[in-house]
Amino acid sequence: MMSGREFFISRYQELGWKYEDVELKQAIRINSMNAEKASLLKRLESRGIELEKIPFLEDGYWICKSKFSVGATSEYLLGLYSIQEAAAQIPATLFTQLKDKTVLDACAAPGGKTVQLADLMKNTGAIIALDIEKHRLTALSNQLERCRIENTITYNLDARQVSRLDTKFDRILLDVPCSGNFATDKDWFKRRTITDVERNAKLQREILTRAAKVLKDDGEIVYSTCSLEPEENEFNIEWAVKNLNVQVEEVRCHGEKAQTSIFGKHLEGSIKNCRRIWPGRTQGFFACKLKKVRA
Amino acid sequence: MKPITDFARQLNSKISLDEDLTVKKKNRYFLLNKTLKRLASKDFFHAGMYLGKEKDGVFFPSFNLLAMIADKRANKVVVDEKTEWLFICGRDVFKRGIIRVIGSVKKGSYTLILNSYSECLGFGKALSDLHELKEGAVVKNILDVGDFLRRERSSFKTHS
Repeated sequence: MMSGREFFISRYQELGWKYEDVELKQAIRINSMNAEKASLLKRLESRGIELEKIPFLEDGYWICKSKFSVGATSEYLLGLYSIQEAAAQIPATLFTQLKDKTVLDACAAPGGKTVQLADLMKNTGAIIALDIEKHRLTALSNQLERCRIENTITYNLDARQVSRLDTKFDRILLDVPCSGNFATDKDWFKRRTITDVERNAKLQREILTRAAKVLKDDGEIVYSTCSLEPEENEFNIEWAVKNLNVQVEEVRCHGEKAQTSIFGKHLEGSIKNCRRIWPGRTQGFFACKLKKVRA
Repeated sequence: MKPITDFARQLNSKISLDEDLTVKKKNRYFLLNKTLKRLASKDFFHAGMYLGKEKDGVFFPSFNLLAMIADKRANKVVVDEKTEWLFICGRDVFKRGIIRVIGSVKKGSYTLILNSYSECLGFGKALSDLHELKEGAVVKNILDVGDFLRRERSSFKTHS
């Protein structure tokens, strides 16, 4: 049967990673637009919150110790920081030059990465943020209000229908719906089968296709998932390179270079520019940057 | 955008918004910039800065609007750290927790509540003249940033 703990663990082993149990640390990201870093760190320290700088992130910190929820401090409620898992803080940082750009966040809710994009853009340009579920857009609106975001428009829209907006984008974040990974879901191995993975991979290719159509020449797509399955990651990116007039750009970030030989398939060489993060101090993650080639 | 300017007046403040860039969407108000105005189609869910909403003839300000007003001349009460926490938890402000009163906060008028970093925590209604030496609860909590947590909880209940 193509499911279950043993099945998936043996796949990870084939990819060169030995399974280990992980315990994730909660992480925060300072909203640099709203807070001066040194002063905020001092304020949190005075509340008894012990932080550790995340070495591969500019504004990210792990929570080492806190007597109360970091989601209930006045600093959080005033939008001085956001709670965002460490690996999830990576994708938005992979774009080159975001200020004054028109950016699409195609699967945006609950909005952690939208807020991060706005912070990196210093509220300039415009972010168009979409989500298919209306109630999730309410959560996104709350985040935007809490963090004083002023450059974002949200729509209740399926990412596959983005062309309806009749807008071309300089940058597109595709943090696509995915199968997730065991590090953030203790029942993951019980719940997931290879059929789920393949269904998600198909949806992701549909989203990639639509996004590539509304991307300007020389524009960038950052594609990310929190799935460990190659069908949703390396295989999809190879498919995009072959079909969507995009190329994989080199990125400098945490994680290991993706493999180009997986489960007996030999992939296009540029796939090695993608980054794969195995669960450990962060959750499992995959990210890469695609650039649209001039027609 | 009368409800917004009327609300600011209740805080003894004045606010002027560019009418062309202020958009009413059903009962909610948003302030856009020129780029967003050009890009936004009429079926948006949220755009630019959310300013507040009207319900049954009453205007409910957003925290963005309160922060905008806090940058201007307005009624303000600066509170100590303990009172900051209690206020965020929905409690009224007691006289002993007040560090400073800015403006002429008379009984019945609205005032912003700020922490010692001048960050706006919400607003309330004066229960007495704040320059009088009266003990006890002096500002009734109307809205505080703890509302973000209450919204999360109610959304979780609705969708779980």
